Amino acid sequence: MGYVPVKGGTQAIDASIKRVKFERLKGQAILEIETILSTMRALVDQVMSESSLYSPQLAALAIKQAEGSMEEAVFLMRAHRSTLPRLYYSESVETDAMFVERRISASFKDIPGGQLLGATYDYTHRLLDFNLINEKKADNTQWLQSYAEELQEVKVEETVERYPKVVEYLRKEGLFEQYEMDNTEPEDITKQNLEFPASRSARLQVLTRGQTGALTSLAYASLRGYGEVHPTVGEVRVGSLPIYVKHPNEEDGSEDEEFYIGDIQVTEVESFVPVHVKNENNEEELEFEIGYGICYGQNETKTIAMSILDQCLEHLNDEFPTHDEEFVLLHIDSVESSGFISHLKLPHYVTFQSKLDSIRQVKKGVQVNES
Amino acid sequence: MKRRRRTEILIQDNGHLAKTFAETITAVYECREITAPQYGMTMIKMRETSKNSLFYMGEVLVTEAKVEIANRIGIGIVTGMEEELAKHLAIIDAAYKADLPEAFLWEPQLIAAEDEIRKAKTRRQAELIGTKVNFETMEI
Repeated sequence: MGYVPVKGGTQAIDASIKRVKFERLKGQAILEIETILSTMRALVDQVMSESSLYSPQLAALAIKQAEGSMEEAVFLMRAHRSTLPRLYYSESVETDAMFVERRISASFKDIPGGQLLGATYDYTHRLLDFNLINEKKADNTQWLQSYAEELQEVKVEETVERYPKVVEYLRKEGLFEQYEMDNTEPEDITKQNLEFPASRSARLQVLTRGQTGALTSLAYASLRGYGEVHPTVGEVRVGSLPIYVKHPNEEDGSEDEEFYIGDIQVTEVESFVPVHVKNENNEEELEFEIGYGICYGQNETKTIAMSILDQCLEHLNDEFPTHDEEFVLLHIDSVESSGFISHLKLPHYVTFQSKLDSIRQVKKGVQVNES
Repeated sequence: MKRRRRTEILIQDNGHLAKTFAETITAVYECREITAPQYGMTMIKMRETSKNSLFYMGEVLVTEAKVEIANRIGIGIVTGMEEELAKHLAIIDAAYKADLPEAFLWEPQLIAAEDEIRKAKTRRQAELIGTKVNFETMEI
């Protein structure tokens, strides 16, 4: 069979685009961006995190346009990101400056500052609330008023409390290794291709923008035996971090002359992982290392999974897929993985015809041999 | 007041003071727009706390504006889609750089706003304290 180039489909594509718009509009309901921002916090956070662009407004718009499809919303955000100039780089963000809204430890009952549950679904009954079908704005307003009255009773301190990190407390006790501040400029995987072995900075950048489901599955696989990391969560924190940038031209580079540009909300996790090390007498000892995870918004499962995979990739091991950095880092990006899978729907007529021809030739050969 | 402290106040005050201050300046001085408010990104450099190294966490959407007042260029940068606030911040930045007398008069208002921001934060923190766990040791 000869190679036959074809063209066409323009009208069908136009009609299909109209059809997808019809599917979004046919219900005659308009989902306001404000409604998404007010009620779809987790979805907005996940889209920002996987698209690597912190903007609740744009994430809500992407969710609306994509009819709630995560992969489509992330794709839209990444595409939009590529049209924007990168104007500044922030100064190093230190997470001990976090305004903490939630922090818990699975390692210690008593942590300095205490365990603050904040807002979490962890202790809710996973039963559908049928009252939400006929939710009334007036009822919600009344609930909010009564909650506000309840909160009036709380004792307000004079100053904002900073919660010390659990890991710092343990480092002071000499239970964890101390590391000097490493100010080596990070690599940027949006500017340079990822190369292996990957630097720690490149690895963390890939992990933090990875797809929640992919990170969760791989970290789960590691826990189940396809890896060698089973941590105890030292601390999970959710809160907001201030972002500062330097003036682009001024010579006075002092902290006082930086611009504060706003806060971002993040989830941060430090996981404690026991490792066997040899001491100076060549005897095996148990030590703890820290797996690190952080991502935009409140997404604790992703962040814990990131901390597990960070630790897996600190100890490369060909025996386990989760300790293989090419396996992990090249397969967790939402746009790359969903893009490659969905490209399979696009015309592959020539490729497939070629395969079909090969099979026909083979079968013809078999028939000739049999006769 | 230094830039870091004043931008913290002006942004966390939700732009109310920034609007008032900027209007005071534009009513008296010629303000030339160098860069109209534009959207762009700031890459966030994060310190991880396992090995204390740095990495890029991702970008945050920002609005940036630049203006010139009395031969001094002011920059306004704020996260999100905030054209008006970015321009107001740029005008205030230029006013400080040009040592305009009006800027010296803003100090008490900035300090008062800072105190309100602190109070709002301590209240928000106090409201979360109800979710702090009080463990009771059980007798076995």
